[in-house]
Amino acid sequence: MNIVVLLKIVPDTETRFQINNEGTDVVWDDTIEWVLGPYDEYAIEEAIRIKEAHGGKVISVTIGRGKEEKSIRKAMAMGVDEGVLIENDELVTSDPTSIAKALAETVKSLNPDIILTGRMATDSSDSFVGPAVAELLNFPVVTEISSLEIADGVATAIRDASGRKEKFELKLPAVFTADKGLNEPRYPKLPMIMKAKQKPLDKKGDAGTPIIKNVNQLKVEFPAKKEAGSKITGTVDEMVNQLVDGLANKEKVL
Amino acid sequence: MSIAVFLESYNNKMVKAAAEAINAAKIIAEKTGKEMFGIALDENIDEILSQAGNYGISRVKGSSHITLYHSSMYARFIANAAREADIVIFPGTVWGREIAPQVTIKLDANPVSDIIGIEEGNVFRRSLHGNKIHSTVKADGKLVITVRPAVFDLPAETGGSAESEPITPETMDSDTLSKLAEILAASSDKVELTEADIIVSGGRGVGGPDNWPLIINLAEVLGAAHGASRAVVDAGWRPHSEQVGQTGKFVSPKVYIAVGISGAIQHLAGMSTSEIIVAVNKDEGAPIFKVADYGLVGDLFDVVPKLTEEISRLKQN
Repeated sequence: MNIVVLLKIVPDTETRFQINNEGTDVVWDDTIEWVLGPYDEYAIEEAIRIKEAHGGKVISVTIGRGKEEKSIRKAMAMGVDEGVLIENDELVTSDPTSIAKALAETVKSLNPDIILTGRMATDSSDSFVGPAVAELLNFPVVTEISSLEIADGVATAIRDASGRKEKFELKLPAVFTADKGLNEPRYPKLPMIMKAKQKPLDKKGDAGTPIIKNVNQLKVEFPAKKEAGSKITGTVDEMVNQLVDGLANKEKVL
Repeated sequence: MSIAVFLESYNNKMVKAAAEAINAAKIIAEKTGKEMFGIALDENIDEILSQAGNYGISRVKGSSHITLYHSSMYARFIANAAREADIVIFPGTVWGREIAPQVTIKLDANPVSDIIGIEEGNVFRRSLHGNKIHSTVKADGKLVITVRPAVFDLPAETGGSAESEPITPETMDSDTLSKLAEILAASSDKVELTEADIIVSGGRGVGGPDNWPLIINLAEVLGAAHGASRAVVDAGWRPHSEQVGQTGKFVSPKVYIAVGISGAIQHLAGMSTSEIIVAVNKDEGAPIFKVADYGLVGDLFDVVPKLTEEISRLKQN
């Protein structure tokens, strides 16, 4: 079984961003720590578990800007066997459609049975690449899954959707995007970290697909800061009465 | 050229996020003078037509033939119906996020995902890096847009009606379909977190899963959804589907009540756009008080039962 994980390397979610003087972008300096996308970690763990249960290999595919190898080695230390890294500054900042086309083209040559990725990247929050790659390859897709079982070439996936749980059945090859709760990603152990350094990482300059930029950022801002109201102190009755009065009479939300 | 809106429905009812997407379409229509129309797939298409009509949509391309959700079948139907449009709008629900990218590829369009504002007909606001940065983007060409739920208001009710343009869906090779086999736990009375007007969330201060009825009871008397902080989910007290924050759900209800939540940056990123924030915490220095409109400094085990009782009394009168 060939299992492909699509990995985006993103700024750590604890990053405190600065905005440049022109207000056109955040400052991309060396203080930013680049990590595996938090949701991609669930995709990696699931891929490794499928390999452990059914055999095969796990191959990662990443489009990057020269900040990615450390995180890909971490994925390899978790159990990813091989990686493909397309380093191209123009591609990495292009439209999500160009990213999806480059990924689909690369993935096609890997002859995948299963493609896994995170439900969204925590930086751009597009939630685009998984279903778009499925469409480009004409594979079925189930997004935001919290459970996945594979038996005899058929997958059963469950997800939370708008207050209900949906269960899907589909034939492989297929694409899945992982939500938190799918599994508990493992911590790499030292022998695996050493081994990961030797695993093959195929670096390329492009995927041979068109690079298009039709969506352009004009400006960035910090969201308007919410002004804190006053703290309410006193006895429990006093506090609760003041709050209920405020919600009912001032805010009119009760 | 025109604007198409996917009128997502479930159990013969248009979902709230779809009504909000209609409002987003109306805003773009006003700025550009474009005509708009709806696309609907529902067994009871007449019901969706009347809801859409009431929200000011006069034309709906629809079908009652697809009774089961398959994202690729929906995507093909919507892409065919939307070919005449140059802007296609989806509610940013789980279904919308699953279908929109497929439609984008089919129409050779450009995606603008998860918008939170509209400046011009092709200039939109998005939030990046878990709500820490707002970005304004200009998008050229044919566009497929998803609209973040609970950000846009519901459209004004016009009492109008919509005309139907029936379309017969194409059949598809079953190998490329993800078949929705079963709905497990279809809880219609449960309020979805991202679509709720009021949310009550619990943090580590609640003390353990056994104390959660405190949160659920308060949510029930308010008709609210209930959520949890990352610490609570990571500790296994509550399911991940309830997590609010950067690696959980982004919410912006009218009222967000944070109970025993200190207010870590990644939690604030997920809820600080709420209109009114109420915090209950005994630690006066908790960062949640920096964003709270009503900050109650006190023991949640005293405050929450009393609050539940008072609101319940108010609702009964």
